[in-house]
Amino acid sequence: MPDRYRNLRASISGWGLCWVLLLSGSPVLSAPMTFNTALPVAQGEFVTRIQGIRLDAGEDPGTADRDLTVDTLVTVVGYGVTPKLALFGALPYQHKTLRLDSGGERIRRSQEGFGDLSLFGRYTLFQRDWPGRTLRLAPFVGVEAPTGEDDAGDALGRLPPSVQLGSGAWDLFGGLVLTHQTLSDQFDSQLSVRFNNEANGFEAGDEVRWDLSWQHRLWPRELGGGVPGFLYGVLESNLAYQGKNEVHGVEDADSGGTSLFLAPGLQYVTKRWMAETAIQLPVMQDLNGTALESDYIVRAGIRINF
Amino acid sequence: MYRSLLVLVLALLWSTAWAAPRVYQLHVDGLACPFCAYGIEKSLSKQAGVKAVETDIRAGLVRVVMDEDAGLSEAQARAAVEAAGFSLRSFNETFNETTQGE
Repeated sequence: MPDRYRNLRASISGWGLCWVLLLSGSPVLSAPMTFNTALPVAQGEFVTRIQGIRLDAGEDPGTADRDLTVDTLVTVVGYGVTPKLALFGALPYQHKTLRLDSGGERIRRSQEGFGDLSLFGRYTLFQRDWPGRTLRLAPFVGVEAPTGEDDAGDALGRLPPSVQLGSGAWDLFGGLVLTHQTLSDQFDSQLSVRFNNEANGFEAGDEVRWDLSWQHRLWPRELGGGVPGFLYGVLESNLAYQGKNEVHGVEDADSGGTSLFLAPGLQYVTKRWMAETAIQLPVMQDLNGTALESDYIVRAGIRINF
Repeated sequence: MYRSLLVLVLALLWSTAWAAPRVYQLHVDGLACPFCAYGIEKSLSKQAGVKAVETDIRAGLVRVVMDEDAGLSEAQARAAVEAAGFSLRSFNETFNETTQGE
């Protein structure tokens, strides 16, 4: 196999890492940092979140010594249409850089700009409230529009999908999120799927995720009157399976697989805003062939109630 | 003389009570984090005549202070709380003891 084609296939397999960032553009409430929540957006009100994300993937089982870095700034806006129905939009601005060995030299390929716009709706199907406690179940469904550039190139030719800002396809996603919140703790669990479509001869593998989050109030230890700021310790897990990518209808053996991340973090929550940070660390990456493995994902951001 | 004084005092007390803003206490279920409290306060603040809204998150209690001569019905309060995505457990009007600091 020619070097150039091998490297294209090798860099394609890094695409699966990018959707982890894009799908995470959903939560805007007091909620997990890496996925969604079932907590409400008040009717007629807006909430927003801005989160910076750094992904580094440099564990290359192949021979190209690939290293993919993706810096993303995601802006998410949520609007409460009714007390049960909320609509969200998420737009990432990304800088992607892929370094790899090719033809005996180290090459660098990069791209920067707006990525694909995600739009989705979430409906509270079940709600049970008690004093200082709530339990909610909410399905959500959405689409990722191909707003990001998907056929950018450089001196070496067309960039591989892992470096393109957009997929070029209309992709569908949906799922179900369960939230149980008390004054001291919050548990969230989300099961979601994503159906990726073909564009430019490339179709990323479909994905299934199961995410869990536990938030525990660290401070104040005892609640007084009023509404004090809460400092939460957060621990999240993200189990994801992705099918193999297809290139011109042929499965890429070096793509897809199963991964598990753990994400410890901190959140400081007030009535009007919250600040948060977490680091997602891979504890298991059972990927196919020479699919590129992640080193870490760091997140930091703010959320604001308007 | 005493009767006149008594009438005057009663009239003063009556006028003070009449002029004092009404205060309501709402017990809200499902309220468990500061970020969510804002939605309830904002929703209640949109009601006509609402002067101030204060939340005690531990007690799940929202206190609504009205402008003079303004009132809040239970239906209005329930609609506002539900619009924010929460449930109204109880609704009570409190009297002057809660308005001393206003």
